[in-house]
Amino acid sequence: MTLAYRRTSVFRGWDRFDYLIVLSAVLLVLYGLILIYSGSARTYDGPIASFSNPVAKQALFALTGIAAMLLISKLDYHYLTHYSWVLYGISILSLVAILVVGQSSYGSTRWFDLGPIQLQPSEFAKLATILLLARFFSEHGGDAKDLKTLVISLAIVAPCTILVFIQPDLGTSIVFAAIWLGVVVVAGVSRSHLLVLGAIFVAVLPFAWTFFVADYQVERISVLVDPEQDPLGAGYNVRQSEIAVGSGQLFGKGLTNGEQTQLRFLKVPTKDFIFSVLGEELGFTGALALFALFILLLMRGIRAAQIAGDTAGQLVAVGIVVLILMQTFINVAVNVSLFPVTGIPLPFVSQGGSSLVSVFVSLGILQSIIMRHRAYRQT
Amino acid sequence: MSVLGGGGFDVGATPSRNRPHSNLGVLRIAVFALFGILIGQLAYMQLWNGSDYAQRSRENHIIEKNTLPTRGLIYDRNGEPLVENVGVYTATILPELLPEAPAERYKLYLQLERLVGVPALEVQAKVKQAEDDHRGYIEIPVQKYLAKEQALRLDEASTDMPGISLSVKPGRNYPAGPEFSHVLGYIGDQTQEEHDVLRGDGYALNEPVGKSGIESRYEKDLRGTLGVVAAEQDAQGHLIEALKTTAPIPGNGVSLAIDAGLQRYVAELLQDSMAGDQVNGDATMAAAVVMSPKTGEVYAIVSIPAYDNNIFNEPDKHGDEYDALLQDTRHPFLNQALWASAPGSVFKLVTAAAALETGRITPETGRDVTSKELDVKGVNGQLYPLYDWRVHGYVNLYSAIAWSSNIYFYQASCGILGENKGLGKDAESSAVILGYYARALGFGSPTGIDIGGEADGGIIPDPAWKARVHAPDNPEDREWYYADTCFMGIGQGDVLATPLQVARMTAAVANGGKLLTPHVAKEIVSPDGKVIRAITPVAKQVPVSAANFAAIREGMHQSVGYGSPGGAGARAQVPGLDIAGKTGTAEFFKADGSKAQHAWFTGFMPFNDPEVVVTVYFDLGVGGDKAAPIAGKILKYFNDNVKP
Repeated sequence: MTLAYRRTSVFRGWDRFDYLIVLSAVLLVLYGLILIYSGSARTYDGPIASFSNPVAKQALFALTGIAAMLLISKLDYHYLTHYSWVLYGISILSLVAILVVGQSSYGSTRWFDLGPIQLQPSEFAKLATILLLARFFSEHGGDAKDLKTLVISLAIVAPCTILVFIQPDLGTSIVFAAIWLGVVVVAGVSRSHLLVLGAIFVAVLPFAWTFFVADYQVERISVLVDPEQDPLGAGYNVRQSEIAVGSGQLFGKGLTNGEQTQLRFLKVPTKDFIFSVLGEELGFTGALALFALFILLLMRGIRAAQIAGDTAGQLVAVGIVVLILMQTFINVAVNVSLFPVTGIPLPFVSQGGSSLVSVFVSLGILQSIIMRHRAYRQT
Repeated sequence: MSVLGGGGFDVGATPSRNRPHSNLGVLRIAVFALFGILIGQLAYMQLWNGSDYAQRSRENHIIEKNTLPTRGLIYDRNGEPLVENVGVYTATILPELLPEAPAERYKLYLQLERLVGVPALEVQAKVKQAEDDHRGYIEIPVQKYLAKEQALRLDEASTDMPGISLSVKPGRNYPAGPEFSHVLGYIGDQTQEEHDVLRGDGYALNEPVGKSGIESRYEKDLRGTLGVVAAEQDAQGHLIEALKTTAPIPGNGVSLAIDAGLQRYVAELLQDSMAGDQVNGDATMAAAVVMSPKTGEVYAIVSIPAYDNNIFNEPDKHGDEYDALLQDTRHPFLNQALWASAPGSVFKLVTAAAALETGRITPETGRDVTSKELDVKGVNGQLYPLYDWRVHGYVNLYSAIAWSSNIYFYQASCGILGENKGLGKDAESSAVILGYYARALGFGSPTGIDIGGEADGGIIPDPAWKARVHAPDNPEDREWYYADTCFMGIGQGDVLATPLQVARMTAAVANGGKLLTPHVAKEIVSPDGKVIRAITPVAKQVPVSAANFAAIREGMHQSVGYGSPGGAGARAQVPGLDIAGKTGTAEFFKADGSKAQHAWFTGFMPFNDPEVVVTVYFDLGVGGDKAAPIAGKILKYFNDNVKP
């Protein structure tokens, strides 16, 4: 291998690499590590440098994720769109499999338990669906103006949405729907088509509600409407997170000083309810800082979509932006009692390897798109 | 060629010639809109409602528990404690903390059954009920009133029995004896209605409260002040840190004027003297009041039959006993000293006061009672027979009191038709005037004694009263007749009075016109024995001159009759004591319609400077025979043993 070859292959494109995306992502991860430290301070009392320490574990996953991101950013995303049918097929199979053999937690079946690692196939399925949607549109006229194209694109998203919904995971199925919506809007869907589909959806919703919505979801949703209805039962988490966030006020109670967090009134304070820890201990200003990082990241993601070399790249970027946006929005909305409790982690921040690695993988794909926009045009 | 080559899509990629879209503004709008919603909600929660949530957060983890104060004790006038504080032990279950597995739960229930004897199935049913009602977070009592050994064993075992614990509440034991029950009263759990009121005074729901007697009247003094233990606890209820502790302040004691020895002596004496004469048979109920004519202090107040107020300590255990007492026709729960019946001749003291004060008679006004029957002619020519109980011969006020002449007091109240008028110009106004003096001497209304249990305070009739009360049943009988005033003048007819009212009136006679409020409590004392306040109820002046009362006292002195033949009350005489008194034998109709008599005696000693008043009442008997000797014995005991 000559130096010149290296310059033209391994080192090529890094000048276009978006370091602001990496910076904001790494800052979010660090923010998360601090919050995980606080959220686990009363439950974890082992050594700091141990892999049973949730902070160390999360840091290790973050490094793994960053490595994966760097690798994938070097990989041409067209490989991914090319094999997206295969990835999509694996996703569907694993989503079906999990309904049969998966592990349950909090009344919902979402995990494969592989010894030390738990795999959540829906994380993988989201990316596979984005890739397949992008490829589909780029091969069918590059837009969604045609009704037939639109309906087929809907058929691509529907199986995953439904499989996730019956796990049941309302939040993730909404993320799937939002990804589809975001992609078709950018792909120029006609408004009348969208309205007709919307009308059909609204008409079908009551039946779907009756036949497919699990009791626990009905309960969670009704608890959101009135958390005092059953203060020690299903309303507990909602009420405790509400108290935690609200009591943080402008500047918070200080890290590791939040009684709601430290006295374990909050359930899963390092995972789904990590935002409540932030709200309680760092207050409104802490939340604004978090939002600023997310907005920076998302704006850079939208920039990637803007400068993408082709429709496929652009739609992949759009899908990833919507994915991160919706996960963030739903997670925070749950924490501030705007949305029923649903097991969606806060991207980059919540404790959990699957989620962290897969979100860095999506950033890798974004980087791949960014690094290749000029290369495409020059060809 | 490596896939990391990155020189375009040279391997297996899908080429596309489509131009990218440029409508990404909608995505930017979505980002800002969604974060805008979140920021809005956060601002609403953290800034607008933040202080509310901060308060809820504090309430969430700071728990405050009350510690009940030690209740003040009750002592007799010599410092003998009449009550003691004991723990009431209850086995309780907090369903929330029980293990989930039914088998494990049942094992606990069986263990509980062995420890305290409550059937496991019963416990299971109670827990299930509580959980079905979604009240699993509230402690339920499963067995109350555990014996001390049981309680200790449970306390020890419960450390390994999740959800099961021993609760200790303050309770009372009354060792002094049943003769103190009516005075002391008892304490018990608050009813919901009581709690609704008491909550305003800061009462905890688990705090016992005085239900009757001294326990109820001096509740505020006896109760003390709740202590508070505040602590920080986590979501599982584990104690994290004790924050502040305010020790409870023990309640103050109540020192009674009651002399425990005298109280017991009187109770025993009355109980032993129930056996009766041929006319009336055995007495079933009796009462006695011993009080000071100077201060209104009550030295003894006894009601027969009594009951044991310890049954209220463990109400669940004594249901049968309680029911039997409720069924008892002698009404053991009623205080006979506060229960009104016909006073008979003791009421002649009132008539004497009214007649003297209105000028109707002087002490020297006399009458020759030559026959036991005096027929007087009414306005319509009808003859009314007026009866006396013996041929007294010539009597003035003194001897009329001493021998309890009926005809003399008819002459002084309703007047002898055709000879003289009564207190007023006619029968009705005479009754009104007599009623006025009777009320001035404390009849017709409660005395205000500080042990509760007084009904409306007897009856002093007058024409308006009769028209009101008799009218519904008996329209013929609503008119006020001459005879009504005559009967009233000798404490018969519709007049009803309680032994305590009679004693209070006697005290006013003895002290020359001060109508005292009788009181059982003497002082409120702090736990370390300092007097916090003395109980000194107000006295009222009776509108009768001291000289007139002196004349009445002289009559009473002659009744007991030292150095002279003595009168109707001669059997109250005790050598060495200078006693004055008045007997009463009140006729009444029993429930079966037959006639019987109440026995009364009321008196005081020493004659010259009265220190003690005694009133004795038996529901059946003759005053001079049955009540008078008892009064004498009580005064003898008082003289020998009680320090005023």
